Amino acid sequence: MGENLVPITRLGKFFGGEDYALDVGMGEEWLIGDMNFTVILYRIDRYKTKTDDVYGEVLEDGIQFLTPVELKGYVQVLAPTNKFLGNSRVEQQEPGNMRFSIYQKTLEDLGVEIFMGDYLGYYESEDRVRYYVVSDDGYVRSDNKHTYGGYKPFYRTIVATMVSENEFRGI
Amino acid sequence: MPLPKQVKPTLQLVPNKTLSARREQLLEYIKKDGTYLPKSVLHADLDKGMLEFCKNELKVVTAGKVVSFLDIIVTTQNWTQYLETWKFVDLDYNPSPPFITLVRQPEVKFGSNPATKYNIPNRKQFYYASVPTWDGNMQGMDIYTIPQPVPVDINYSMKIICNRMRELNQLNKNVMQTFASRQAYTFIKGQYVPIILNTVGDESQMNLDARKYYIQSYDFTMLGYLIDEDEFEVKPAIQRVTQLVEVDTSTLKKKRKVWPENPSQFPTDFLFLSGVTSLSEKIDFTANMSILSTDNIESYDVYINGNFYGTDVNLIQITFNDILNVQVVKEDNTKPSTIKFDNKLV
Repeated sequence: MGENLVPITRLGKFFGGEDYALDVGMGEEWLIGDMNFTVILYRIDRYKTKTDDVYGEVLEDGIQFLTPVELKGYVQVLAPTNKFLGNSRVEQQEPGNMRFSIYQKTLEDLGVEIFMGDYLGYYESEDRVRYYVVSDDGYVRSDNKHTYGGYKPFYRTIVATMVSENEFRGI
Repeated sequence: MPLPKQVKPTLQLVPNKTLSARREQLLEYIKKDGTYLPKSVLHADLDKGMLEFCKNELKVVTAGKVVSFLDIIVTTQNWTQYLETWKFVDLDYNPSPPFITLVRQPEVKFGSNPATKYNIPNRKQFYYASVPTWDGNMQGMDIYTIPQPVPVDINYSMKIICNRMRELNQLNKNVMQTFASRQAYTFIKGQYVPIILNTVGDESQMNLDARKYYIQSYDFTMLGYLIDEDEFEVKPAIQRVTQLVEVDTSTLKKKRKVWPENPSQFPTDFLFLSGVTSLSEKIDFTANMSILSTDNIESYDVYINGNFYGTDVNLIQITFNDILNVQVVKEDNTKPSTIKFDNKLV
């Protein structure tokens, strides 16, 4: 039995599915063709990753992940901040979060989904990769900003925070 | 599964000392590699003692690894320099959790240890030890005195930064077991210094849009005391001079009486009693005999060994064992007469 599909007819006088597809296509051309920011998505394999029964924590290097996937999107890395760790005198420069925006169509084409707790790797240079953990997967994209003026959701904004090496360090 | 109580995993070959022997052992620790006086215990020593205590007594091991402990007390100056030499850093040269650090509150307050608080005013010096001295001639004692140590309270916060609950649990278990009797002791230069656990706090970073990690803080107070060797005093006490007299206990022969007393020049008198006009005497020295004076004598003749020597001579040369004979003519024969000689040995 087929999926129930309801046509979207709002904004119909001056905007429609073809316009939407055209704009998304042009956006993808700019984002993927011109910008070409690449982020590697490490999706947690929740079956193979062994966690303890009480806290659900894994040991160092204990996280198992599915095949990494290259994602093309728009990457913004926020400025680092100098701060103390709590009330200790231990000072450190905490790297800023990464905001990663991606077309929903890209995810659908690749057949992947991003959830909180997945890890992202971003190569800052040829030999230096920084890993982030997804703290906001942007799954709820019903607001006007993410729906092309209220027409249809078309991209997601994912916020990821820097992750310590003893938690995750890629392959 | 724990071992039965009857099974001893380790055997103690040398029994622990107790009572007086233990006190002497502690005194040896205090004086070790030093003088008779205790060594100074100042702020840095207390800090180091606390650092060693946390590092060794509260060590956290999880998944077979020891959680790193910053082996310095973090101050405002040293952190960045220290971090460059630390190996547990990430690609941003930030310390990589899990790790434990010790923070000292800069202010040090007057101590609250009831054993040393407000009981002796004016920094009075107290007897500590009498130390014998010997400089090769004089034996004596030096009195060593020290003032009462100054009590101080130093507050520390030991913080664990980690991202797993089991690391928190392990440290918490260690702390709670160690401080089950409220206080624990660290050993600083031979002296036990108590530490009490105040509070346990949580400063974990749990914001949604930031890196998440646990920070738990254990606040300790060290009830320490300051001993400053600059305040020690050493004063000389009793001193004795030792005089050694050696006595020869062997039996000596009686010495011959020394005569004359003056070996080089001495007088002799010839006394002619009433009615006596001739005297003879065996001389036991060799000398020049000079006539000093005569009394009641008109003239005299001198004979040596029976040979006439002269009349009224002023000088007689006599030798050892000669027999000197003097015959006088008195002015008044009823009275005694005298000739005085001065003998000069030759």
